[in-house]
Order: sequence, then C-alpha cells, then structure tokens
Amino acid sequence: MRSVLCYGDSNTHGQIPGRGPLERYGPDERWPGVLRAQLGADWYVVEEGLSGRTTVHDDPIEGAHKNGRTYLRPCLQSHATLDLVVIMLGTNDLKIRFNKPPSEVAMGIGCLVYDIKELAPGPGGRTPEIMIVAPPPMQDDVKEWKSIFAGAPEKSRLLALEFEVLADSLELHFFDAGSVVSCSEADGFHIDAEAHRLLGTALARAVDAIGWSRSA
Amino acid sequence: MRFAPPNPLRIADRASGLNALSVRSYNERLVLSLLLQNEGISRMEIGEKTGLSAQTASVIVRSLEQEGLVSQGEAQRGRVGPPTIPLSLNPEGAYAVGVGFSRRRIDIALIDFIGTVRFHKQLPADEANPFPQSSDLLGAISQAMTSLPVEVRSRVAGIGLAVPDDVDAMAATRNGSSTSLKALQGEIEEQSKLPVFVQNDITAAAGGESMFGVAKPLNDYLFFYLGARLQSRLILNHQIYKGNSSASFDHGLVRLESELILREHPSEIIWSSSPEWPDLGEAYSAWLGECSDRLKASISALTQFVEFRTVVLSSYAPQKIAKGLCDDIGREFPGIEALPARVTISPKAVGAASLPFSSRFMIQ
Repeated sequence: MRSVLCYGDSNTHGQIPGRGPLERYGPDERWPGVLRAQLGADWYVVEEGLSGRTTVHDDPIEGAHKNGRTYLRPCLQSHATLDLVVIMLGTNDLKIRFNKPPSEVAMGIGCLVYDIKELAPGPGGRTPEIMIVAPPPMQDDVKEWKSIFAGAPEKSRLLALEFEVLADSLELHFFDAGSVVSCSEADGFHIDAEAHRLLGTALARAVDAIGWSRSA
Repeated sequence: MRFAPPNPLRIADRASGLNALSVRSYNERLVLSLLLQNEGISRMEIGEKTGLSAQTASVIVRSLEQEGLVSQGEAQRGRVGPPTIPLSLNPEGAYAVGVGFSRRRIDIALIDFIGTVRFHKQLPADEANPFPQSSDLLGAISQAMTSLPVEVRSRVAGIGLAVPDDVDAMAATRNGSSTSLKALQGEIEEQSKLPVFVQNDITAAAGGESMFGVAKPLNDYLFFYLGARLQSRLILNHQIYKGNSSASFDHGLVRLESELILREHPSEIIWSSSPEWPDLGEAYSAWLGECSDRLKASISALTQFVEFRTVVLSSYAPQKIAKGLCDDIGREFPGIEALPARVTISPKAVGAASLPFSSRFMIQ
C-alpha cells in the first residue's frame, strides 16, 4: 500500500468558509477525503491540516505551533514511510504581520522541501515524491480579515507562478489549485464543499499522472 | 543554496508557441523522443527508461505541456493496479514541410507532429531541369504553410529537402556548377524565415519510416525504396547506412515504364500517386517478377554479413505491390519479417519533413 501525506492549513483541515475555527467539513467532504475515495484501496491518505499554519514562521499572535517547518519533521517521522508528500501552504504567510512578498513564501516552501529531502522518509530511506500545490488566490473581499490580510489578495494571485518557478528549479511535482477552484465569497480565503470535491478529484488525477509502477 | 532564491535552470515558458531553437535541453529531447516511440507512457515509466526521477520528468512534461508539444490523456481506471494517465505528443504541437525530389515529380507535404500528412501537392519535374522554376516550388511551400490556420503557423518547425545524389550531380553538369541546390535552399530560407535541412532522399525516406512508421520500434532493419529505381539502406542501431557504390538497381518504375513502352502500352499512370493501377498486362508481371528476384538477391547477399530480422519496403506505388513483394520475401526467408512501409503518401517528402523535427526536438 502507498501512503500520501497531505500537509496544509485550514483549507486542508476543511474549515467551513465564514464560520468559526472549530467548524469543519466531514472526513469524506474535505479534499483529503475526496482524494482517499478517488485513489481507492491502494492508498493510505494522512491528513495534516492545521488552521493558520505558515510555511516557516512562528506566528507571534496565534502561536509558535503554527510554524509549518518545526512541525514537519516530527510529522514526517510519525507517518513514515511516505510515498508522496503533498504541500498546500502559503496563504497564512501573506498576513500583514509577516510582511512577506510572494517570492519569499515560495522560499519558505523551498525550506520544507529541503527538510523532506534531508529526512528522506520515503521507501528505503529515499526522498518521497513531493508535490507542491499552489493555494487558490484569495478573493478581493476578505471581510473582517481585511486588516490581517491587508495587501494579501493581490500577492495571493502571484503565488502560483512563484511556486511553479520553485517546483521547476527544485524538480518537484506541481499543481495549481487555482486552475480548478476559487475561494468562497463567504470569507474570501476558504474553499467550500464543492471546491473540496473538485480539488480532491483534480489532485487524485495529478497523483495518478505521476504514473506509479505496479509493484508495491 | 538552501537560503538562496530559486535559480531555475529551465523555467516553463509561459508564452504560447515554440521556444527558441537553442533552449531545448537534452532531457526535453529525451522525453520527446520517448513519447514519439511509445504513445501513452507515464512519468514514472519515462523515469525508468531515462534514469530521470519522476519529479524531473514532471518538470519537463509540464514545460512541454505549456508549449503545447505534449498532451495528457484520460486516466485509465478499472484495470488491475493503479490507474495511469498516459502522455502523448500533441499532433498539433508542431508541423514541418518536406519536399521530395524525384525524376518525374516533386512532392510537397506538410506533416503534423506525429507524421500525419495534412497537405500534399505534386509538381511535375523533368530530368533536364531537376530543380523547377523556384517560384513554383516556393509557391507550393507557401501554399502548404497557409493550409494551416493563421494562429498555428508559428508552429512550423522548419522545411526539409530530400534530394537524390544524382539529381544534384545532374544539375551540376548541366548548369556547370553545383550551386543550384544551395541557391534553392537559400531562396526557401529567405522566403519562409525557417531553417531548411537537406538530406539524401532515400535516407530521408528511411528516417521518416523510423520516426513515424512501422520501423518505429526497430533498431535494425533493411530498407528498400521502390521509386523510379529500387534503392536500399541498412539501418543498424538506428543509424542509417548507405552503401559506398550508389548501388541502386534498375528494377524500379523506370524499368516498368520501358517494359510498357516496349509493348506500346501507355505508362503515365505509374508516375501518378494513383492508389490503383489498371491492368498493365504482361509488362507488369514481367517487371514484378524481376523486382522480386532483385529484392531477394539483395537480402540473401546481405544476410551473409549482418543480422537483421526485418525488411521494410517503401513506395508510393499502389500498396498492393509492396504487400505482394513483402509476401514474396516472407516466403523466401522464413526468419525475416517483411513489412510494407506505413508512410505511403510521398515517403520522401514525409522523410524530408521529419528532418526539422529530429533536429529541433529529438535526440539524434
């Protein structure tokens, strides 16, 4: 059996747009669940979505545990052996408190990739396949999050290109979530149930496209 | 490196259309060549065959997809094992024009990226002046290009010319210089602003068959071209070899023509691309017998020196003829498979058109 780790933020956690942080889509509704259904019995899907997770920053307000880098290592070792790691992060790095341009967010992703390669939690101690997923661009209107995400919607539209440049240069699989879904109007940066379904289906296709050999 | 901004070796070009000639990397050529040989291969399989990682293949495929050279098929589910999404060359990804020069005619063909002929035209030629009025040829080439919708014309990769050795020699003796082919090449380059490639016509026809035809999976085979004359090439490990003596046998269509003239039978039909010939009587059967004997003699002589299991016979003459001759060969040599070529519309022009593809997209 193969296993895939879905490493992300609230949009991997399945947080419902416009609702509180504890309100979450069900296991079969959120995209890792859709992916699990699509990939079928050959795959074990590990969900690791944390609301507010950044690529490499301790969040001075929400807490140091939002740092995607410090949690990644224990997470990879907990779930090893992994055939594939899917990373969809970046939106939270656009909060004004971090003051980062899109290129720097991509560099944050690059650090995570570096750590995965160093830890090599793949079969036989090799590097697993790594897929970078660019989050869908935010809506211009992010409601009451406007001050927290000041300037972020514009930057969010540049993430896909920056991430693809990174994926090209580090030789990684890449998928642009914005090519299949948009963020919900309800809060401007979370995706709704239909978008989870579309994203999970599209990612299953992208995972298939890697073309896994028939052994193992 | 860890904290440096990404320094991509090859960033997917976001512009549509083909990238400049110089940036095509070896790995991209490798992947394109594999896709030409194996339709519907997956990234993992590309990795297995090339030694690249699946992720590296992913990067290359992504950029080739953005350029429109490669397209993804539908997921194949419902079989044993994981589903796969096959990759193939996009037929509309690139085009090329080929010109095949023969004694009696000049063929102009436009092919797509998988070798399908999209446009075909013939011009008459004669031995006194093997290179026609260049205006006619330039006109036909531009007609081939304009047969494509405006928005894809930039996808024409180049123009190939398949030229018999002796036509050039003939032109040289008659004009007192050998500049006529060069001059023609220059004029075509000037008009089309595209690279022009020149190769011997029979070698080009064999190359076209290796690239698009029945010879695709073959490392070694013996290639016969039945045109005005019967000519051959030996392909060993994908290299096309040409004998030193320009051993072309006088058992081709010229011989059939003389047999027909001898019996006062009209002979024009054999120089057309007609898919069927009328009953040509005794002349035809006499010629066919000789032709078959000549083929068998060549094969028999060659088998004493090299090992090959396949013979490919290419001709624009009605397919029935190549099929019949192949059956003859198969009966005579049980260990050898004889196949009629798949490229039947002007093999020389299609072979010529494959030259820009091999030069710009494939590993040699």
